[in-house]
Formats: sequence, structure tokens, C-alpha cells
Amino acid sequence: MSKDLVTLLRELFAENGLDKYELEIFEEQGQIRLSGTVDRWEQVVLAGHLAGGLRDVRGVVNEIAAAEGGPPPYEAPPGDPTVIGKADVVIIGAGVVGAAIARELSRFKLDIVVLEKESDVACGASKANNGMVHSGLVQEPGSLRSTLNVRGNELFEGVCRELDVPFHRCNLAVVVFNEEELFLLELLKARGEMSGIPVELIGPEKLASLEPALNTAIKGAVLAPTTAMTCPYKLTIAYAENAIANGARFYLNTEVTALEQQNGSIYKVVTNRGSFLTRYCINAAGVYAGRIAEMAGPPEFTIHPRKGELIIFDRESAAGHAVMATGILEMIRDPHTKGGGTMITVDGNPEWGPSAFEVSDPEDTSVTREGLERIIAKFGPLMPGFDARSAIITYFAGVRAATYTEDFHIAPSRHLKGLIHVAGIQSPGLAAAPAIAELVLQILAGEGLALEEKAEFNPRRRENPPFSSLSLQEQNRLIREDPRYGHVVCRCEHVTEREIVDALHRPLPALTLDAVKRRTRAGMGRCQGSFCLPRVAPIIARELGLPLEKLTKSGPGSELFSRRTKESPHRKEAFLS
Amino acid sequence: MSPIQVAVIGAGPAGMAAALAAADAGADDVLLIERDDEAGGILNQCVHDGFGNLIFGESLTGPEYAHRFMEEIKRRSRIRLLTGTMVLNLHSDGSLKAVNRSGAFSLKPGAVVLAMGCRERSRFQAVIPGYRPAGIYTAGAAQRLINIEGLMPGEKAVILGSGDIGLIMARRLILEGAQVCGVFEILPRPGGLTRNVVQCLHDFNIPLHLSHTVTFIHGKKRLTGVSVAPVDEQGQPLLERERFIPCDTLILSVGLIPENELSRAAGVIIDEATRGPRVDQDMATSVPGIFAGGNVVQVYDLVDHVSRAAAIAGRSAALYAAGYRRVGGRLLLQRGENVSAMVPQQLSLPLAAGERINLYLRTATEMRGAAVELRHGEKVLYRKKMRIVRPPEMIHLELEASLFAGLGGGDALTCRVAAEEVKQK
Repeated sequence: MSKDLVTLLRELFAENGLDKYELEIFEEQGQIRLSGTVDRWEQVVLAGHLAGGLRDVRGVVNEIAAAEGGPPPYEAPPGDPTVIGKADVVIIGAGVVGAAIARELSRFKLDIVVLEKESDVACGASKANNGMVHSGLVQEPGSLRSTLNVRGNELFEGVCRELDVPFHRCNLAVVVFNEEELFLLELLKARGEMSGIPVELIGPEKLASLEPALNTAIKGAVLAPTTAMTCPYKLTIAYAENAIANGARFYLNTEVTALEQQNGSIYKVVTNRGSFLTRYCINAAGVYAGRIAEMAGPPEFTIHPRKGELIIFDRESAAGHAVMATGILEMIRDPHTKGGGTMITVDGNPEWGPSAFEVSDPEDTSVTREGLERIIAKFGPLMPGFDARSAIITYFAGVRAATYTEDFHIAPSRHLKGLIHVAGIQSPGLAAAPAIAELVLQILAGEGLALEEKAEFNPRRRENPPFSSLSLQEQNRLIREDPRYGHVVCRCEHVTEREIVDALHRPLPALTLDAVKRRTRAGMGRCQGSFCLPRVAPIIARELGLPLEKLTKSGPGSELFSRRTKESPHRKEAFLS
Repeated sequence: MSPIQVAVIGAGPAGMAAALAAADAGADDVLLIERDDEAGGILNQCVHDGFGNLIFGESLTGPEYAHRFMEEIKRRSRIRLLTGTMVLNLHSDGSLKAVNRSGAFSLKPGAVVLAMGCRERSRFQAVIPGYRPAGIYTAGAAQRLINIEGLMPGEKAVILGSGDIGLIMARRLILEGAQVCGVFEILPRPGGLTRNVVQCLHDFNIPLHLSHTVTFIHGKKRLTGVSVAPVDEQGQPLLERERFIPCDTLILSVGLIPENELSRAAGVIIDEATRGPRVDQDMATSVPGIFAGGNVVQVYDLVDHVSRAAAIAGRSAALYAAGYRRVGGRLLLQRGENVSAMVPQQLSLPLAAGERINLYLRTATEMRGAAVELRHGEKVLYRKKMRIVRPPEMIHLELEASLFAGLGGGDALTCRVAAEEVKQK
């Protein structure tokens, strides 16, 4: 059996031109380990995928190096062994998964610490995805991705209601343009039914009644009505704030540098800012989950980053996006844009994408000309009347943390007791997050963590509604309370000074311009901050007590201004005093 | 609040002129609404000179130009200036909702003048690929940072786009001790006025790279550099000739867009060429009682024209509030050959005897020896020879009402810029 897997893989390598490299293949109980050197990064990924795609392969560790185009060198900051705290559970990574786990654990009598290397929560894929709460339609039935997606979707609306996060159900339509392809829809429908989710096969008339702007040449569609949209970073912030309200502690700008053990169990998590004693640790480090895992022993999986680019359009062009749409053939044909679709964000902006490009650098969030062109070429035909190019207001990219088996890897470490890997959380990680947290609680309980509910747990978290959404009477009441409500700072999104001040003083404070933007939408409108940046920056600096020169866009190294000008009023004050 | 006859939205060079003209045309109560804490708009951050040559006969700085208007406004008790006030919504009946530190309020004036100006195209609207680090600023934002906030956007800049603000910022950065690696312009000609190319680039030895663009933005936290490349005739970058320029700042001067969110909310029809409201010679928009003046209508190249055109809007609004209407149908003005944008797009009839019509247009291409023609069918109503026409320099014509004698509502005129035949000797 084990010999067969290796032989099979050798054959596949030969078929794909990888046999000219001296690659080593080890197999043990369905776990494959690859090593050697190839020329290019694409070949590294190809080898990993050939292994991960084999039936009976449960995991792939891909240590093949690329002579060219490999990941940039990484230098960890020095760790500080000084113990600065202890916790029952330390969670590494404050993306949506880490924050969801923190919040679910905060139901119990536990000390919870969350460590995040960036200056805010949701700084990786959790902020840079399309906000889609998938139904589970396209997932391989029986995979962990499928199971947790379907369960997560069930839980999602309740979570959003408790945490005051936007959640809008909207149909996903997977469409075909040719009669001969209608059978593909039948197959997709059958797949959805196997996963136990509501699906409906519809004709062009029904689709046109749902969204008349879609291409009239469309011959049919599978609808997945449990699909929904949320705001991924607002959800992460809400999870974090609710966890904090229930006693969890978040440490930002804090990077894990080592895991220390005692008698085979985790004992200490070392960071650049001090160390934490703990008996349980969750590895929710996203694209860096592999790096964290290797701090505990030999690698158990390999993450290969896959970039997804997204385009956001002006709200004024929102017509045509009542249904999320995607073409089934494009899903199959073009490996670079297999997911995604046309959709509308909870803030009312049309959104297209994401693309899918394998990258070696886990921080490659650049948007390429090719990526933008592919998105427009792929989704443009769905909506012939939409002038995509002139409606663009922004674009961005996130990096998916995929494993080579292309499934979630959620399991205790094989080397270090108390360490739980929550890795490979690519799409539909957002939709699955509530279910992932549920599963992690079960695993922790199985590993011996006592989960004793605390009576004072408050599942609810509230956010003030945007000032601009209030009635004239309510607005006047607030302005009487604080005139800063009457000072509109962001002209595109109508964000007031008071709302910015609030964002800076919430339980999880915003420390950067981008963090303020994510919480208030100041700078997210059609001018993309060119009007409000010079006005928002002084407010942030004033409230945080920072000199303006120290203010950053997204944390250390992203300073917004280089210095004061020679005529600055600041200098005059200094001169006079 | 007493009934407002004319509400002017925006107290920049357009709004101030509109308010003055409205008051001088007899409006008793003119409300001038400004979202910033002082009037002046973008003028306040324009510390360079070159403003007011046409109106005041001398070259003023932006704040001086604004000051002259404010002095006049202060002399007229009919004008009330409301600063720190943001208009949040405008309806087709002219009623509007606004908010300031004293409260939120609605009002329904007799007429409205839109004078919101324009905004800058962003890096995304210019579709420049790459990362999204700190250090990317529109020229106007950089100008505000340096001249008002006293903050340097960076120390080593590349400027994309040779529009006037981009050119002025190149000089400003040098004067503040920063480095400017060069100005890159995708078109084969500069986007700004010739005087600015000379005074801001040549005089400071700043290289201007025509037919070039930025092809990639580098840097995950702060900008570390940009890739630039020449472009072909279609504007497509020649990536094989791409090169990297290390810098910490990218300043964008890649176009201005009239700011018409309120106009759209009120149902005002927007012209696809100007991206501002379609207007007649009174600067009346498609919605009765809503007028528009200045850069909200089209992006002018001189502030004097902004104020002059907006003054027409202010005066018309006052007359409208007093009950004056033109009731004789409309003449359509259509863009012909080589005209990329034109204001007004129609003339409302009847025309008064002796009325002078201001026509502003931009050509699509640069031409030496050209003629601007206004035709009705084959009949040439007006023709003016021009030694040179350039897209960045707007053509302003003052036409006599008598030109249009004999034409009636529904007639269409075409304006074109054609090559002037060169006579062989």
C-alpha cells in the first residue's frame, strides 16, 4: 500500500516533467514528505499538489526548494524569555479563526491570551477576502472544509446577531451559457444535496426575475440561497471585542518566536515582547501556521500561499448585483480564478473576485495587472452592461493559507501535547469560523482542558449605528451630547469626528490609520482617503497622544509622514516655550 | 431660520463668487455652506501665485484670492456664511439636509447653487498595480499636508501625472528640502499649463518623462520604490523597458473628477464628457431651481474662470428664486469633431438682446492653425481662428446673442475645432 503511493507519485512526477529533478518521497501512514530542489516555485507547488491530490494521502509536507522564485528569507525578531503572563490557553493569531476561538473559550472559566504580530486583528486573509459566507455548495462532500462550512453557515446568522455584525443572505447563482453544459448544473445540484444544503436548479427566466442585469444568454443556474455576505474584518473585530469583554487579553505587535516544552507538553510561548506560561496553545497563525508548527517539532503540513485579488466598485454602480453570480465552466477551466464571483458587499459596493495565484511569499498582497484583467475578463460576460473599469474605487489582495491536500488541518500536534493546529484555513474559512471554534473546543476538551461555564459570560456586543444612518432627531440628540458628532470628517462615507474618536477608545483600540478605516469606513469611499487623511491623521495622533510623525498606516514601518515642515506651527511652539 | 432664497453648497472660489453674484442680483438671504472651518476651499492650500490675473488684474496667491472674495462677502449682510457644515443630502425639490456642530437641519431654499468643486482621481482609479503601502498621496492631499498641516509626506518622491497640481507639488517638495526623482506623464504632452512646466520643472531641473507611466508600486509597509516604463501610442506600458526607481513617496496628479454625489442624489443629469451637470447658459441644471458653477460642472484650468462661471450660476439662482424663467425652449449645443468637452450643453430661450454667451470647450488633440466653428447644419454661425489649441488649455468664447437669431427650440448646433487650411503662396 505505502509502496503504491510512492510509485504512483513517481509516475505522476514523470508525466509532469518533474522526474528530471532528484526529488525524494517519503510516505508513512498516508503522510507524504517531499524534498529536493527544482527550478521554479510553480514546480514546487505542482509537486505538492500532485501528492496532495492522491486518494489516501492525508497530509503533505513539501520541503522541495526552488532555485528561483522561492519565498523571501525570513528573520525572526529576537525572543524575550521574560515571563510576562500566564494563561490557560494561548491563541497565536488574531484572524477571524483565532478571534472566534478566543470568544468561544471566553464562555468558560479560563484565562485566555491572544497573540498577534500585526498592529490590529484581521490583518491577514481575514481582512482581504470577499466577505462571502459560503453555503458549502462547491466543497467536496465529506471533507472537513465541507462539514465545517455547512455547520458554520448554520451558526453564522446567530453569531452576527449576537455580535452586531452585518449579515445579508443573498442567492449565489452558478450559471452556464450553453445548453450542453446544463448537465454540469445537475451534478453541482447533486453535490449540494449530498452536503445537505438547500439548492435549486433554475432556468433563465427565474434568474432574470432575480437579477435582470445578468447576461440574457445564460441558460440556467444552480441557486444556493443560504449563501450570505458579512464584513470579515468587522466580524473579527467583534469577536475580539466580545472576547475582551469576557476577560480575554489581546496582545498586538507581538510575534511568537519559540514554543518551549516540559515533559512533552507545551509550557511556554516566547514572543518578541515577553513570554507566556500555558498548558494549551492554539496555532491559528494563518499563512505562518507552518512556521509555528515547526517550533514544536518536525513539520506536519506545509502551507502554500495562494493570493486572491478583489476589485471593489463605486456604490453608484451597484445595479446588477442582486444575485452573486459565477460561471461553472470558468470555475473548472481557469485555475487562477476558480472561486469568487460578482457580489455586493454589506456596505453596498459591488465586488468582483477573487483571483487565485500561487505565490511563494506569504506576504505578497500585491495586485497585478494580470490579476485585474483576469477578474474583469472572467466576470464581465456575466453582466454585459457593467462598465467595470470606470467604476473601480479600489482593489486589494489577500493570501489564502492552503495545504497541499486542500483541506483544513485541525488537529492536536503530533509532537507537543497541548498544541492544537488550526491550519490550512483557506476558503471557506470565514463561513466555517464559528464551526471551527466549536470543533477546537471539543478537541481541547478531549485533550483534558476543563471547560467550566461562567455565569457572567455576555454573548452580546453592540456597536453604535453609523451617525449618517440616524434620523434627524437622533442626530440632533447626539450632537447636543457631543458636538463632534456634527463634524463630518470623511466626506465620501460621512464619518464624523466623534465616530473616529470612539474607534480609538474601544476595548480593542484602533492604533493605525487602517485600523480606524476598518472600524469607521473613513477613507473607504470613492476618494480613498485623499480628502480625509490630512483630517483624520491629526485626530488619531491627538487621541492616542502620538506625535504625527509616528503615526502609521498599518503598524511599525508604515509611517505616514517623514517629518514636520520647516514652518510647522509645532516648531514655533517649541521655539516660544 | 428665515426662508433662504439661495443656498450655495461649497465656499471655494466658485461658491464665494456665486454667493456674491446672488446677493448682488437681489437675493435677500443667501446661505453659503462650507464643510471646512473656513471659506476658501482649495485656495487655502495654494500658497503659490497665479490666481486672479483675469479678475483682479494681478497675480495673487490662493489665500489672497480667497481673501478678496471674503472681504466682499463680509460687506454684504445678505450673505450668511455657515462653516463646518456638511450637506448630507439634496433632493430634487431643492431641499437639503446638512449637519454641523450645532445640529442637523433641513431647509428648502428658493434655489440652490452646486459649488462642491472636484476631487482627485486616486491610484486605484488610475489602475496602478502593486502593493498598498504608506507613502502614496494625491497631489492635493500632499499639498494640504505640507501647506496646512505642516507635515512632509516623504523625502524622495516620484510624481505621476503632469497636471497643474502635480507640477506645483514637484516644486513645493524641492523647496521643502525633499528630492523629486522626476515627473512621469502617460501622454506625449504635459497635462498642465506651459507656465507651470517652465516655472515648476525646468527652473528646478526636475526631469519630465513624457509617454511614461508607473507600472508597479513596491513596498509592504512604506513605499520602497516604483517601477516605471514608457508606453506605446495606445498608452500600454512597454514592460520590457520597465525600470525600478527607489523612492519613499508617490504623488499622483492623474486627473480631477467633478464632485457630483449630491447632484446625482437630486436627480441632476450628468454630462458624460465633463462628468458634471449638463447646464445651459444660466448654469441651470436639468433640475429646475438647481444651478451649478465652477469645477463641479467641469474642471477649469484657471480659478478666475471658475469664479466667473459660478457667478453666472449665483445670479441665475437669485433670478430663479425671484420667479424669473426662460420659457422659449432650448437650443442644443453638440460636440463635433475634436471637441472633447463643452459647457454649456444647451441654450435656454429666449435670449435677451445684447446677452453674451460664455462657451468653454476643450479640444481632443493639439493643433497648430485651427478654427473653432459653430454650425447649424451646413451654415457656419461663428468661426474663430486659433494659432494653437492644446487639450490642457481651455478655449473660452464670448458669443453675441444675435448669432442665434432665427433659431428656435429644438434646433441643434454643433461646435467643432477643425484644421485651418493653410493658404499656398
